[in-house]
Order: sequence, then structure tokens, then C-alpha cells
Amino acid sequence: MLHEAVETEIALRIQDLSVNIGKTPYVQGASLSVPTGQIHGLLGPNGAGKTTLLRTLYHAATASTGTIHAFDRAITDYSPYEWAKRVGALVQSSGLLAGLTPQDIVEIGLSILELDKSELIDRRDDALALAGLTDKATQPASNLSGGELQRCYFAQLLACDPEIYILDEPTNHLDLHYQLVLLDEVKRRGRTVLMTLHDLSLAMRYCNTVYLMSQGQIVGRGAPQHVLTREILMQYYQVDGQFHGAALTLQGPV
Amino acid sequence: MAIRFPILFPAALLALVLVALAGVLWGTAEISWADRAAILMREDDVPRGLSLIIWQWRIPRVLAVGVIGAGLALAGALMQTALRNPMADPYLMGLSSGASAAAVGAIIWLPSWITDSFGVPAIAFMGAALAFVMTLGLSSRRGEPLDPLVVILAGVAVSLMFQSLTAFFLYLGDPQAVRSALGWLMGTAANTEWHELPLITLALLLIAGWALLNANALDATLLGEERAQALGVHTGRLRMWIFLATVTLTGLAVSVAGIVGFIGLIIPHMARLLTGARHRVLLPLTLVLGALVLIAVDLLCRTLLAPEELPLGVLLALFAAPPFIMILRGLRRAS
Repeated sequence: MLHEAVETEIALRIQDLSVNIGKTPYVQGASLSVPTGQIHGLLGPNGAGKTTLLRTLYHAATASTGTIHAFDRAITDYSPYEWAKRVGALVQSSGLLAGLTPQDIVEIGLSILELDKSELIDRRDDALALAGLTDKATQPASNLSGGELQRCYFAQLLACDPEIYILDEPTNHLDLHYQLVLLDEVKRRGRTVLMTLHDLSLAMRYCNTVYLMSQGQIVGRGAPQHVLTREILMQYYQVDGQFHGAALTLQGPV
Repeated sequence: MAIRFPILFPAALLALVLVALAGVLWGTAEISWADRAAILMREDDVPRGLSLIIWQWRIPRVLAVGVIGAGLALAGALMQTALRNPMADPYLMGLSSGASAAAVGAIIWLPSWITDSFGVPAIAFMGAALAFVMTLGLSSRRGEPLDPLVVILAGVAVSLMFQSLTAFFLYLGDPQAVRSALGWLMGTAANTEWHELPLITLALLLIAGWALLNANALDATLLGEERAQALGVHTGRLRMWIFLATVTLTGLAVSVAGIVGFIGLIIPHMARLLTGARHRVLLPLTLVLGALVLIAVDLLCRTLLAPEELPLGVLLALFAAPPFIMILRGLRRAS
């Protein structure tokens, strides 16, 4: 009984969320809830509002209407700092990396947890090892390739290991090996995850539930094999393709 | 990289103390020149010997350039972080042009009773503040966060406007007033008096303390706007505090010593090369190096062509250009 109660607990709940930037609506009336320990994916073509929806979950965008709750407490009842400790995000953003190393980047993330020095170093080095950056840990971050930098920020989030992971295109720039290594690690940890993905095969592989977004609205939801039908791919992605098990066969654009 | 800090910082601090001592003691042999300076400064006062020169002239001057150097370097480091732009400097938001136009306009055009009662420094500070407000006004749109690039562009536009205003004043002014205005434009800490020091020193201490307390948030800001927000940093508020800190430090520095360029751009880069970009080590080193370099350059200004005195701006440009080019080359290599 206790086990069941834990399983159905909702970690992240978004209700009737709308986001306007200027006067343009980017997200309209989106509702979703992610149970503890599940991985949910936001899918949809470019400009569907996936990233904007995620941005409201790390204080980069403000909801015009609607509510966001983590662990039954509204986002507005947390300080941004308290929120960041429990809800971590891997995002797309460009920085000024001169004078920083991968070690620094992971430590900067870990600084919000106020760990003692030895634990900080342990967590930092473990995460960098996972991301395959041990050899480059003390080299200038500005010399890293795009994929290495993405791995570095992934390592930052894995080191912090928040209760909820928000991942915006986590596999950007990553080669196939690290796509699987890093997402497998997230899954292995059993954390609650909400992520956007362009790679539908990865959605099929990792997500318990996916949401299909189009023009700011959630237009479909369910298990990936139920949502990602040939008709949906045709209508929303404008491609002719079909899943056979976890494998996507693409004929071409329509 | 930061491992070197425990050796570097004490070494820089020691060098600062030595340079400050040199700044106070150097030139003791040239009493005839020191005499003349003292007489020029206080016409109805007979010079009362070496101790007076040192106490009323050299020490406040060395302290002033030290505080100004540290303050401008700190402001530069904070601006580079806030805008995530390695070419950002304290004057970026039109501050120097605003201060220049106001000061030059006051020196050349305003009747002396106004400049005497307000003082050119206060007028320059108001010019800087006006340029700051204009830059912010141009770059902010209601309900939207500031875009660093738009801030930089607005700063350029405001700078150009005030520069042409300054050129206009200089072009039409009478030669005597123009010469005095040009001297102010190139920056000098000569004639600094004790009473000018407490305000800027207090501002420097408060802002440096604030920045060190916020070192983690500043570090996160380097990673990018959204990454910092994801780490719980209120980036808009932090940036606004940095702008206010910059206009305060820069405005006060300008009001004491005129336009002192380059320090705010170059010193943070030097410090970053030496100790990395983490603010808890970067900022202390930036403060010390800023003070160290400006005291040394000011010393050269006084002694190189003694008894003539060079403006700070002239020597700084000479010494700052080579490292500036090196940094540019380094940036190109990195990208």
C-alpha cells in the first residue's frame, strides 16, 4: 500500500499554464503532471512552445496564467534559490567562459548546495568522470567542443542531482554514445524528469509519457507508442515515417 | 588554476605596499620641484617642508589613485560579468562621455560662480549619471528583461552623442578654457585633497564587500542568463545592482581624477589570466592589481618628465595597448 502511494505521488504539476511574451502567446492552457520517478517528454515541431514551457520551470519565463507546483507547493512559495536546489535544469544558454575550467563549471552548480569541501570534490569528480571529462577537467572550458561543453553542463546537473530534472534538448551536440550514457544515468537514478526531445527514438526509449505540443498547446498525450503514430508524424512533424517497436523508419518529408 | 591564488595574492599585496611606499617617498630629492608644486597649490601658504609635501600632497594622491584604480578595475570586472562581454568596461554605458561633456561644458561655458559653487567633480558625476539613465532608458522595454547586447549598443549611441557635444564645446571654447578642459579629460590625480577620499573609499569598500558576498551568483552569471536563473540567481536584479555599483564607482572616480581609461578593461583580464574567473579569487586580485598598476603609472606620470607632469591617460594608453592586443589575440585563439 505504502509503495503504491509513493508511486502515484505527483512531483511536478502544471495547471492551465499560459505564457505570453510581449503580446504573443507562446504557451496556451497547458496542463500536465509528472509522478515521482517518471520520465515525461515534451515533443513537437520547432516553435511549438516546448522550451518556453520549460523556461517557466527555472525562472527564465513567467506564467501569464496558471500554476506550477513541485511537491504540492507552488513555485511562487519557494525562493528561486530553494527551488533551484530541488528542481535542476539543463538549458541552452551562452556564457563567457574565459578563465573557467570544467571543474569550475561543475563547482559553480554545486555551490547552491553548500556542501563541505570533500563532498564537493567527490561529487564534482564523479560527475566529470561520468561525462568522460576527467582528462579535460582542468583545461580551459573555452577550448571544449560543443558536445564536450554539453557534457560538462550535464555533469553539473548530475553532480547536483536534484529531485526533479528539467532537460531542454539534453542530447544537443552529443554523440550517440554519450546520449545513451547520460540519459541512462538519469533513468538509473530514478529521478522525476520533464524533458524536451527532438529525437523521437530517444523519447520512445526513455519516456513513460509524452506530450505532443503544437502552436503553444498540448494536442496529444500518452505512452510514446500510442502518441507517435504514423498519422501524428504526418500531421505535426510533416514526415512520412513509422515506428516498428523502438525503431523509427523514415520515408521522407511530406 | 585557482591553486596559484594563495601565492599570487600575498605577492600582489606586497607589491602594492612597495609601490605605494615608492609613490609616497619617490622624488624626495627634488625638493625644489616639490617646493614649487606646494607653492602653486597653496599660493598664500609658505611650504612647511618635506613632511607637509608628503602628508598633504603625496599621500592623498597615492591613496586616491589606489582607490580609483581598484574601483575602476572592480567595476570593469563586474560589467564584464554582467554583460558576459570581455570588452565591457566601466565606461561602457556612456559614463565617461557623459561626465566629459558635462565637465567640459561646465569648464568652458558655465559662469565661474556656478562651477565654483557646485564644483566640476559634482557636475561630472551628474553627467555620468545622466548618461547612465539615458542608456538604461534606451535599452529597456517595459516588461522585458534587458538584453546585454542592446545595453552595449545603447551605450555606444549615448557615448557618440556626448562625444560630439564635447567636441562642439571644445571647438567653440576659448583657448585658455579649452586647455584646462583637455587637461581634465586626460585624467590626473594631482591636487587630490584628503576630503575627497572618504566617499569613494567607503563606496569601494561597500561594493567590494557586496560583490564578494555574491561571488557565487556572479560565477553562475558567467555561464549564461538562463543557466544562472536555473541556479536560482535573479539575474535582472543582480545586473541592475552591478550597473548601480558601476555608475557609483566610476562617477566618483571621474569626479576625483577625470577620465582614467583602460584600467577597467585590462586589469580584470590580467587577473583572470593569472587566477581564473571564479569571483572569490578574481575580485580580490582585480582590486589589488588595479590599485597597484594605477599607483605605478601615476608615479611614472610624475617622474618621467619631471618637473612636467604627464596626464594619466597618456601613459595608460601607452602601457595598456600591448596587453590589450595580447588579450585580443588570446581571445581569437580561444574561439
